[in-house]
Amino acid sequence: MFVYEKKLQYPVKISTPNPKLAAFIISQYGGPDGELGASMRYLSQRYAMPYAEAKGLLTDIGTEELGHMEMVAAIVHQLTRNLTADQIKDTPFAPYFVDHTTGIYPTAASGAPWSANGIQSTGDVIADLTEDLAADGACVKGQRDVSVRRIPSHTPPWA
Amino acid sequence: MNQDQGNSCPMPGACQDGQGSLPSCAGLSVPYVPFQPKGAKKYTQTEALANGTLFPGLNLPFHLKMEGSAVPASPLTQLQALEFVVMELGAYLDTHPDDNEAFALFQDYAAAAREAKAAYETQYGPLTLCSAANGQSFRWLEEPWPWNAQQ
Repeated sequence: MFVYEKKLQYPVKISTPNPKLAAFIISQYGGPDGELGASMRYLSQRYAMPYAEAKGLLTDIGTEELGHMEMVAAIVHQLTRNLTADQIKDTPFAPYFVDHTTGIYPTAASGAPWSANGIQSTGDVIADLTEDLAADGACVKGQRDVSVRRIPSHTPPWA
Repeated sequence: MNQDQGNSCPMPGACQDGQGSLPSCAGLSVPYVPFQPKGAKKYTQTEALANGTLFPGLNLPFHLKMEGSAVPASPLTQLQALEFVVMELGAYLDTHPDDNEAFALFQDYAAAAREAKAAYETQYGPLTLCSAANGQSFRWLEEPWPWNAQQ
């Protein structure tokens, strides 16, 4: 089971709204390499994992990813809070705003809503771990590209 | 840029040679990820939280950006830093359960995190629903919720 802790893993305090940045960051929440996908990937794959070390790692990292999901959602929330439709008009955040206003919705930056199509769980240890390496690497690259603080990645010690 | 000019480690604090191990008799054309050795160099808890990893050897210079963000010092960030190290050491111990030195460090940080959490909750209110029972009244609903932090 899971128990909620009423704090973020890392502080998120954004004073200046930025709908343009929010339009990119939302993909780290609900995009194909986002945190929701990461947690679902690891927490689903662990059931087929025969090794204790990796059962533990998938559980602990999958749980941590849920915390990352909360941080990214907090970032988007603070980047868009108190904005008016006028301030969002003509920014890349506008199409999102049409459907969700400033509510937090798990979607890719492309507008495709979060989908399990972005993750894999094959029941095969090697196939799953190989997918994890690819997914975590893409995630790190994406974060660096948008100059967001690096969210802990787990690529190197695996496999 | 000058990522590779004969120096295998141009970024300060970046991964040095020898911080991982590969099979001594490795087959060709097979990709390997070096296994993290015991006794790897570690950051302090504040540096770890700022860099997103406890291990300098895992702080890879993606896009040549090595700098962590500055973490403002507060009771909450001190707790976050301690709990981050507990989580990082836990993930390390998942794959290195026989590393007694790391386990001892894990015990130390877990104890410090428990203490910091109790002190934080006494001053600022409950962090879990269960610990909301420790107060004189039900303070679970009090602001700020984590996403509502004001600058």
